[in-house]
Amino acid sequence: MPKRSVTRRQLLAAAAPAVAAVPFAKLAVGETSHAAPPPHVHLAGMDMSSGPTHAAMIGDAVPAPGGPNDLDALLHPPSALPHKPGRVREYELTASDRQIEVANGVFFSAWTYNGTVPGPVIRATEGDLLRVTFGNGGSHPHTIHFHGIHPSNMDGVFEIVEPGSRLVYEFPARPYGMHLYHCHSTPLKKHIAKGLYGAFIIDPPEPRPPAQELVMVLNGFDTDGDGENNFYGVNGPAFYYARYPIRVRRSHTVRIYLANLTEFDPINSFHLHGDFFRYYPTGSSDHFEYTDTVMLCQGQRGIVEIDFANTGHFMFHAHQTEFTELGWMGFFEVVD
Amino acid sequence: MPWRLWALLPLLLLVGVVALFASTGASLLDLVGHEPPPADQFDVRRVEFKPDEIRIRVTNPQRQELTIASVTVDDAIVPFRLDGPAELGRLRSSTVIVPFQWVEDDPYTVGVTSSSGIETSFDVPAAVEARGASGRGFLGYALIGLLVGVVPVALGLGWLPSLRKAGSRWVAAFMALTAGLLSFLALDALAEALDLQSGLPSGFQGPGLILLGVATSYLGLTFVAQRFSARGGRERSAPLEGIALATLVAIGIGLHNLGEGLAIGSSIALGELALGTFLIVGFMVHNVTEGLGIAAPIADGARVAPARLGALALVAGAPAIVGAWVGGFITSDLLGVFFFALAVGAALQVVVEVGRYVARRAPGGLRSGYVIGGYLAGIAVMYVTGLLVA
Repeated sequence: MPKRSVTRRQLLAAAAPAVAAVPFAKLAVGETSHAAPPPHVHLAGMDMSSGPTHAAMIGDAVPAPGGPNDLDALLHPPSALPHKPGRVREYELTASDRQIEVANGVFFSAWTYNGTVPGPVIRATEGDLLRVTFGNGGSHPHTIHFHGIHPSNMDGVFEIVEPGSRLVYEFPARPYGMHLYHCHSTPLKKHIAKGLYGAFIIDPPEPRPPAQELVMVLNGFDTDGDGENNFYGVNGPAFYYARYPIRVRRSHTVRIYLANLTEFDPINSFHLHGDFFRYYPTGSSDHFEYTDTVMLCQGQRGIVEIDFANTGHFMFHAHQTEFTELGWMGFFEVVD
Repeated sequence: MPWRLWALLPLLLLVGVVALFASTGASLLDLVGHEPPPADQFDVRRVEFKPDEIRIRVTNPQRQELTIASVTVDDAIVPFRLDGPAELGRLRSSTVIVPFQWVEDDPYTVGVTSSSGIETSFDVPAAVEARGASGRGFLGYALIGLLVGVVPVALGLGWLPSLRKAGSRWVAAFMALTAGLLSFLALDALAEALDLQSGLPSGFQGPGLILLGVATSYLGLTFVAQRFSARGGRERSAPLEGIALATLVAIGIGLHNLGEGLAIGSSIALGELALGTFLIVGFMVHNVTEGLGIAAPIADGARVAPARLGALALVAGAPAIVGAWVGGFITSDLLGVFFFALAVGAALQVVVEVGRYVARRAPGGLRSGYVIGGYLAGIAVMYVTGLLVA
């Protein structure tokens, strides 16, 4: 398929500077050095403006906000800890108003947890005592509402945290699975659309099999306030992982903690090219579906496990084409 | 000190006060309110479809700077390059060039998003390829201008022999008819100008521009008319007649045809106008009456050489060619507003001039039934033939 090969070469042309600049230390342990582009990449003669291909969609090779490692903390969750009931897991979250870059050169006045949208990944093992200290450094009253099982006064609905105030959320982490947290102040739609949400992972007592773990929070940004998203993405900026493909290894399980926190649109979805995956709804049981596309309503989440059969670049994106072309699109770079 | 230097005094004082205000201005305004955020909307001037390419001309209509950050076609982010700056100062423009394989005749919505995330969208009802400046295009627009401008006016002049045989009451009636159709053209051009200016960024002050155009052409033609009078060796207040009045009518009609040509040219260029045979025929029928208007003032005078008649036809009709070129290749709504405003003033001035002629020379003056009937007939003729091009 000649068209496909053009697409791929253009993608590599776009990604090459990033690939060359960043050793991907965490991901490429034991791999050959990537300081030089792979032999089949020809930087000369690449015309990014030759047509509206998927690779061209991401624009030129201008670095995304903050550079290639910018979103690592959101993409790579902290490691799971072994089961040890009663252990205290402490996190600190601070709400702040901040301008963030949601697409190349486009800025959005966000409300953030710890300065990013989505907020940091919170992770605990079932039975841990979770202690989250929340300080509101923003200009509006906020809360943290965790999904899971907890007392009503820890639910982030009634205990509104005024600007300048603090509140400590403390409860045992359960049940295990992929969850989420978000602000529950009113108007709810505004507080979520502005960016107050994040991933919340509770690991099972029996550890999951080893895998390369990733977190993907699907989100959108309504930059002009008309109640419709102008940009979509995974963990923030539009087309981020199209510019900076996520490097994974063939035949090694890739586990994605997936959550949909897109405001305004009733559903979002995740579709993988060139392979199938096991999808565990909410990650709360062993039950899974073997598929290449899952649909999630707002707040719905689950765990995706992929064992790539082939190397190369594989696209992942929303199977709503509109979302795809507004930024919710990326690539896995599968290597041996 | 001469009075001219003293006249500078208020200006110098103004500069001083402005400087004083500017140095403290922001805090002063804070006393009475908070400045709202800028709208950050672009003004999309023109969307052109070229082979494998969409070109979007955008202007910054607001005081604050505006930066082009992202571009969409049909709600999909597309790569683009800029012919011009990304950061636009007030009333500055850039052209966004999007490589795109568009589908002929399909509707498209293009969006330009500012760095503050505000999207300005623009609907194109049907994508039609815009032809650039080429020899063929140049010739094409010239032929269209010739067909809708020069040819009908020349044909209308063919009424001259029959007008000469008509009685003076009938000539007066046709003079009044000329005034009627020019009144129609004036109102028509004014409506066009007002319509066009409403789409301009407010910074361009469309209404003021219209007034400027109307006043310029009205007073300009008044000046010309007076020169004609003086050259004829008559008292300055005497109404124009004969070839001089016909020339004035031709200039008024010419300025109208300039605007009409501009409108036709830009409509073709933007793919908004399916310029079928029917429409061309419509414009020809509509404009043939303009030739009658030029013929009427010379009907009862001395013979006029054919070359002179040809020149009159060119003065009245050829501006349609120039207008079509300008509209087809430049397309500036600003220019369009000004051209139409010029047409308004010119037509009004000629109506006044014809009115003065009729009042003094026609049997029965302005209150004669022939004159009133002729004037109304002029409007009616323009209205009915106008149905063909509406």
